[in-house]
Amino acid sequence: MAHTVILLCRCFGEIDGVVDLDGIAGRLREENQDTSVYLLDSLCQEDDGHKLEMLLREEKARKVVAALCAGDRGRHPRWNALRNAGVGPSGYATVDLREGCAWVHRNDPAGATEKALDLVSMALAALAEKETSRDVSTAVHPRCAILGAGPAGLAAAAALAGQGIPVHLIDRADRPGGMLNLISKIYPEDDDAKSRIDPFVREMEANERITFHPRSRVTAVTGFAGNFKITAEGPDGPFRFRAGAVIIATGAGIFLPRGLYRYGEFKEVITQIELERQWIKGTPEKKRFAFIQCVGARCPERPYCSTICCPSSLKNAMRVVAEIPGGEATVFHRDIMTPGSVLEEYYRRSMEKGVRFVRFREDSPPEILGEKSVEAVRVRDAGSGKEHVFPAETVVLSTPLVPNRDNGALYALFRVGLDSHGFFSETYPLHPLETRLDGIFIAGSARWPVSSEKAVEQGQGAAMKALALLRRDRISALSLSRTPEEKPGHGTVAENACTGCGNCVAVCPFEACALQERDGGRFVSRVNKMRCKACGSCVSVCPNGTMQIPEHNYRVTAAMIRRSFSS
Amino acid sequence: MDAEKNKQGLKAGEEKGKAGAPSPKILVFACRWCGGIGAGRAGWKRLDLPVSFRVIPVECAALVEPDAIFRALASGIDGVAVLGCHIGGCRYNEANHAALKRLELVKVLLDTVGIGGRRLLLAFGTAHEDHQFAEVIRNFLESIGKEPSMGPWLGAGETIFPRREE
Repeated sequence: MAHTVILLCRCFGEIDGVVDLDGIAGRLREENQDTSVYLLDSLCQEDDGHKLEMLLREEKARKVVAALCAGDRGRHPRWNALRNAGVGPSGYATVDLREGCAWVHRNDPAGATEKALDLVSMALAALAEKETSRDVSTAVHPRCAILGAGPAGLAAAAALAGQGIPVHLIDRADRPGGMLNLISKIYPEDDDAKSRIDPFVREMEANERITFHPRSRVTAVTGFAGNFKITAEGPDGPFRFRAGAVIIATGAGIFLPRGLYRYGEFKEVITQIELERQWIKGTPEKKRFAFIQCVGARCPERPYCSTICCPSSLKNAMRVVAEIPGGEATVFHRDIMTPGSVLEEYYRRSMEKGVRFVRFREDSPPEILGEKSVEAVRVRDAGSGKEHVFPAETVVLSTPLVPNRDNGALYALFRVGLDSHGFFSETYPLHPLETRLDGIFIAGSARWPVSSEKAVEQGQGAAMKALALLRRDRISALSLSRTPEEKPGHGTVAENACTGCGNCVAVCPFEACALQERDGGRFVSRVNKMRCKACGSCVSVCPNGTMQIPEHNYRVTAAMIRRSFSS
Repeated sequence: MDAEKNKQGLKAGEEKGKAGAPSPKILVFACRWCGGIGAGRAGWKRLDLPVSFRVIPVECAALVEPDAIFRALASGIDGVAVLGCHIGGCRYNEANHAALKRLELVKVLLDTVGIGGRRLLLAFGTAHEDHQFAEVIRNFLESIGKEPSMGPWLGAGETIFPRREE
């Protein structure tokens, strides 16, 4: 019988003040002969892990129960002491006695003490039933697939190739640049849009490690972090390759404001992108420009701020004033969003240059006046409440970036999450640019509308995250977790008992389960441990308990239920 | 709180358990990302809650086997609550949505056999904030308190949980 150590933390009286820890220690010693119980004033304050390691070595501990606060989820460096002392992840359980017991039951010390004893007993019982998932490892293919050759994808490709990693860069267009190809100049430097990506395009052309696949799209993806098998289709037919990591930088889509502000009725009502196209051809002929902000954005259908439209309008309004003789620009806005020192300075500069700003309320948007063409814009000023009419020849609508129309198909391929708007979502605020599936990263406007400058930043960031994975020779399934507790194990099938019903295959949110044929035409489920995130969906649909997560198997649950009200 | 006053806590608790009216026993399966965090935040805010619930932390609400709910009720627990992340906000793509649909069927089954679907509470999205966690637990305890008791506590009885390999 493995020796068990129970650590009870007083938390300087925070737990001890409500729960009778001494009494509990006595009861635990009485009921569990093979355990040692230690009462500590504060587990986190008085020890950096060294003392704990000494103690566990001395006790020859194999299993540890720590009753402490909810804040500790095994992230503290002190839990290295457990590993050093030979206690594996399945030999360790924490009990939340502070937030979950002492603090919420401070008016009922007797009940809280009973509950605390139950909770520790539950953890002890669970620990006795815990098993360890068998770890597997895979060789890492030091190659990266990048979807989308916009600023984010190009920056990522150049960064990775510079580190010696071969890159497959796939784009549905016939040339790199993404949305920058549609734009004349970029804010806030007012440089030519090409200048942002030129260094990366030159790198792409010169560096033989980057293979650019124009007019291509990914059609199938299998595999896992370190070893994705990707099938794509290009003008010369389908091609396949392996990659250790994938960066999704497919950008965003453009919203056409059909039916808004008489768009489509007058040819003088255009979107920002159409104005950019005019600038690329030459200087527009018209003189009086009205810019209307938040067209189809920050509304119930698209409640988000697209972030790039205000600076774009400022840029174009300033160009109208500076480059068109006699040019006039008025920006009708709900709020001007120019965060940061650079963009705020840009906003102030535009006011100095003579761009007019009129604020309107969401419930009284500006109105386009005119019989056969645009003549004026009528607006109720939000400050004074008075109506004004501004003569205008061209109305430019600032529309938001919307999720790329390919996002749904990409979700079906990669199984990484989309947010409620349809953009790709990150794992968690603490893990930017990482998706829910290991080895797949996101950058640029696929994640959220960003300027080309930010897209480059994110592309390089995602490249570095991918590099951290691709630099390793082998990765193991459990090491993919970021902390000892992050991934508690993975689904494990007892093949003898598996009936091959396929419930787990249908329910797995990451497509980690698959049926495999055995001798005699029998099918059994196999879990791809590199893809499995241990959510347990497969466990709860398995009709005969064949599928289990060893660290939280049915006997763990049963044992915890059994002890839950035992005192 | 006065530590000295609580030294007799265990003893007092034993006496109370014997003499007082039986309070409903509630088992809470809380997912680590929402329900569990909500429980922790309720502690930070020092919200006052009745003691008669026990939390079993799980990775995701999807891990809660229907079997575990039946076992809990069979062993004398009066109500089971499953707390997960809001639909669409699951860390495991659509895992909690599937769990919701599955556990709604468990409710139907409980109604059919006469135990009552009211004994199973599914809270997705309401549990990740402290006040909501407290409210969910309080309301559930109150509503279960109106139900008849599931009978004496049989939890420790080995016969209900046979070890399969042995």
